[in-house]
Amino acid sequence: MSTTTWAWLVLAFPLAGTILIGLGHKRLARGPAGAIGTLAILLAFASAVASLISLQGQDEHHRQLTSSLWDYAVSGSIDARLAILVDPLSVFMMLVVTGVSTLIHLYSISYMKSDRGNARYFAYLNFFVFSMLVLVLAANFLLLIVGWAFVGAASYLLISFWYRRDTATKAGIKAFVINVVGDVGLVLGTFFILRYSGTLDFLGTFEAVRAGAFDAHEGALVAGCLLLLVGAFAKSAQLPFHTWLPDAMEGPTPVSSLIHAATMVTAGVYLISRMFPLFEAAPAAANVGAIVGCATLLVAGTIALTQTDIKRVIAYSTMSQIGYMIMGVSAGAYAAGLFHLMTHAFFKALLFMAAGSIIGAMAGAQSLDKMSGFKRAMPFTFGCFVVGGLALSGVPPFSGFFSKDEILAMVGAREGWFTVLYVVGYIGAFLTGIYTWRMIFRAFFNRPCPEAVELEHGHIAHAEYPTNPANGEREDTEVGFPGPEHVIADREQPMKIAMGLLAIGATILGVLQIPFVTHVITDFLEPTFADSKYVHLHASDGMIWFGMILGTVVALAGIAIAYHIWVRKPGTAAALQARFGWLHRFLVNKWYFDELIDFLIVRPWAAAGTFFRTWFEPRVVDGLFIGGATGIVRAGSAVVRTLQSGFLRYYAALLLLGGGAVVLYFLIASS
Amino acid sequence: MTLSILIWLPLVVAVFGAILGAKVAPKLAVLGSLAALGIAISFVVRFESGQDTLQFVTNESWISELGISYKLGVDGLNVVLLLLTTFLFALATIFANLREWDRPGLFYFHLGLAQTAVLGAFCAQDLILFVAFFDLMLIPFYFLTGIWGCGDREQRVRGTQKLVIYTLVGSLLMLVAAVATGVLASQQHDTDLTFALSALQELPLSEGSQQWIFLCFAAAFLVKMPAFPLHGWLPDGYKAMPLPALAVFSGVLSKVAAYGFLRIVLPVFPDASVHFQELLLLIALASILYGSAMAFSAQNVRLVVAYSSVAQMGFITLGIFALNEDGAQGALLQMVNHGLVTVPLFFIVALLASRAGGSEELKDMGGIAFRAPVLATLFLIVSLATLAMPGSANFAGEFLILLGVFDAKPAFAFFAALGVALAAVYMLRAFIRSMHNRVNPSADSREITFRDLGVLVPSVVVIVALALYPQFGLSKSEATTKAAVAQVQAKTGQLTAETSSQASEEHTP
Repeated sequence: MSTTTWAWLVLAFPLAGTILIGLGHKRLARGPAGAIGTLAILLAFASAVASLISLQGQDEHHRQLTSSLWDYAVSGSIDARLAILVDPLSVFMMLVVTGVSTLIHLYSISYMKSDRGNARYFAYLNFFVFSMLVLVLAANFLLLIVGWAFVGAASYLLISFWYRRDTATKAGIKAFVINVVGDVGLVLGTFFILRYSGTLDFLGTFEAVRAGAFDAHEGALVAGCLLLLVGAFAKSAQLPFHTWLPDAMEGPTPVSSLIHAATMVTAGVYLISRMFPLFEAAPAAANVGAIVGCATLLVAGTIALTQTDIKRVIAYSTMSQIGYMIMGVSAGAYAAGLFHLMTHAFFKALLFMAAGSIIGAMAGAQSLDKMSGFKRAMPFTFGCFVVGGLALSGVPPFSGFFSKDEILAMVGAREGWFTVLYVVGYIGAFLTGIYTWRMIFRAFFNRPCPEAVELEHGHIAHAEYPTNPANGEREDTEVGFPGPEHVIADREQPMKIAMGLLAIGATILGVLQIPFVTHVITDFLEPTFADSKYVHLHASDGMIWFGMILGTVVALAGIAIAYHIWVRKPGTAAALQARFGWLHRFLVNKWYFDELIDFLIVRPWAAAGTFFRTWFEPRVVDGLFIGGATGIVRAGSAVVRTLQSGFLRYYAALLLLGGGAVVLYFLIASS
Repeated sequence: MTLSILIWLPLVVAVFGAILGAKVAPKLAVLGSLAALGIAISFVVRFESGQDTLQFVTNESWISELGISYKLGVDGLNVVLLLLTTFLFALATIFANLREWDRPGLFYFHLGLAQTAVLGAFCAQDLILFVAFFDLMLIPFYFLTGIWGCGDREQRVRGTQKLVIYTLVGSLLMLVAAVATGVLASQQHDTDLTFALSALQELPLSEGSQQWIFLCFAAAFLVKMPAFPLHGWLPDGYKAMPLPALAVFSGVLSKVAAYGFLRIVLPVFPDASVHFQELLLLIALASILYGSAMAFSAQNVRLVVAYSSVAQMGFITLGIFALNEDGAQGALLQMVNHGLVTVPLFFIVALLASRAGGSEELKDMGGIAFRAPVLATLFLIVSLATLAMPGSANFAGEFLILLGVFDAKPAFAFFAALGVALAAVYMLRAFIRSMHNRVNPSADSREITFRDLGVLVPSVVVIVALALYPQFGLSKSEATTKAAVAQVQAKTGQLTAETSSQASEEHTP
């Protein structure tokens, strides 16, 4: 079978899974739904591997294949076909997405087994994987936008999966609307590009850029790329479009692991990489991407220091790590950025899964304030969390060390003002060490909390009255979701297998790109990025050594500080909070981004709506425009009631007479 | 088979139904509407895409002294709209069958009469014939609202009053304008009096006459759509109309108005269309933003859908007055899409109300999804299509509309794009507040019945099918829309669609 046929199969399996589980939702719930969903993704992964093998069999200059099913919208100036583009970049993304998804589906079988919405969950999760694959396989802008919006919808559905919680439905609509703003950015950006490229096809567009279609219209290209960045920022939770991501933690934990850590949120990184010929021709836009990525990694790192909800800490960490990737690919470090995307998918998915296990042990509670001393109670989860934490904070030889370091080395190699970004990147790495290990020390060290003690005695804690972890409200339990039973990884085989495999990956994947030794990712992606003007951008040997040593030092320093504050002298954190109260408030309130957006956009709009409804509509539209007409009608309403016939007929007759007279005039005039 | 059979069949069936009485009428109406759908399908199958000339033409002299003819024809502009009309009327008739109506013979008679009027207006190729059918549309809805409407008597009277006054004023303005068009054309070109659209296109009026006539037509069409600020009749009118009638009113009748712009106004009054382009774009933009704001703050589900129509019709007007092929193609596709989502939406309003103790207020709903996952899923699909999520045909339509406007007047495209985001807000708000959150004690979470699925499933299937293949509509209309906007495009100095992208840079009219 050809490479593209395999790629179509990669799309077909998750879609088939969605439809099958959706149609059979009544019979499949609580049993085969999870197995079918997992199998569908596993088959998709197998097909992705097959397409990889098939692609590698091709000559290096022919590793860009397209295949089209039918004309989607071909009319006037648009030429959108239902077409996919298979090249090293899309195959790379396919492998990451389907690989990690398979493990997360497997984990979900245990995690969601007592949930009443089990079948719905797996139907959504399969739909998400399908959408993400559409996004990475799309061969033109229109289909890309379709995939882009589909993942947004899947994300919405899964964030508000437990839709009885109004915190979940609010988080869902927030995520959806911010992502629609991103979609609109993509659409308008596409218009700017389409205007001079004349085609929606990626390859055609790149060809046009190379041929100089934008030479006289650089402004349009920059505007187009900036609008594409709006889409990328909204999806990848970059400033100032990031506020939905922490709230998205309302979804079940495996969802956070898959969508809001490993795959969907990295779509912005993919987009910039995919569009590299455009961004390289519009350096101004690329620079904006690099700066925003850098700002995001720092802001998110500072916020993560003070959050107490374990999932939100990891969410801000995700935002921060994606900041690195966005900065990297915007600066031309494509292979490095995508390498970090891959290692991050492993260690971040792992961290979320481990967090899910702790939350299970805590009977649904998510606050770090309540957790402590789980080290002995759940050694497997502890081990996984530590591996994930080491990879995240960039300690050698874990995977995150190599990938983050490579991004920073490449950014440093750009010199000039990029040096600032380089320095901020290491400050971010330092913060990463602190907040990651703060979480680990608080959850696993010190005196065991009651739930941990109970677990050591062999029982998983059970909350008598389940509450919504976001606002402490009592849940209405009759609906059966979230499921009444809590699970921990240490006791569930599927969770263990999934986390074990991810932990291995998070540990050893660095071997793919060891400086001076291996460059598997770079070589594999080479055909896609061969035309890049940064293809020869390399950091000097000295700089690479310096970066690796600096990276190790800041990571270890961060861990040491966290150890000091939260294990050796447990009172330190409180003392710091008291001393720097204003700073703590500022960070706990997440730099007041939510309040700002609320003040600038949400409230004025809601006020406008209310004004229109309560004042403008009744007075101006109803009053002024019906004006004379209903005014008269109302004045004569007494007459109307007595006559019973209604004023209307009289009015209609009058109008007809008047109109008739005018018509008559014209007809007479014409004869 | 001629177009006349298609047009008059619903009325004939309706007359038989009224005569045969209450027992037969509902079933007969369903059969009639399905037969009309079958005939429309046969026209679509036999239709030859790629031609910009009229097909299946009927041309009889009607009132020869005044140059009025009974001329019907199908081309790319109306072929898919005929299919849409018959499909939606079939759905609405089945929808109406799900409950009992007082004096059913008469009720279904009016529904059939309405269908004949709409089909006639879509097929008419003579200006006076169009006006006649257009005005005929009003009569059945006057009775449907007044006799079978919702709410108490006062509410019905108020709704009917506003509806009739508004549309009657519009209709009369249009009648005057139509007569004036023919008369002035024959005077200015010294020819025989004629009202055939093909002939009028060849007899352009002086710019001054075009302008006031344009305004009369625009007023009539904008009232019917309705567009801001001429939508004053909408809240009361929509609230009073019985839901099956409202579904076709909003789904099909509003499209006749938009279609009128493409069929009559752009080709016959090209100078005025260019002259008033920005005014109409402004009205369209105001409709989008105002409709969205109102839909967002409305407390009644029916009004959410109603105001969302104002916004959606705003998009369609926007596309038409981009005055280029992309905009017109997008507008035409969007007419079909909007029709397809409107009927299921109003049907869902009925289903929700029946689960919330008869109330259509959002505050009486909540948590309905729990025992009704199928209903929730279907509602969600329709909602996502309505908010034009990429992947729906609605998105393909909006994409073309915005692209057309972007090429003509970029600033309008940027502001209109806000409307895309706002649609997400108001549709999801309505969905969440009715289906999700905690169960409202006054709401009853009940799964959709098998019977009700009969209305909802066909519409969702068609929505999904068109989402997979919007080219079905686009390819049929391409040749004709190109011709329809050719004249105005020539006036704006834009070249053909292929080069318009380069051309619009130099031309900033």
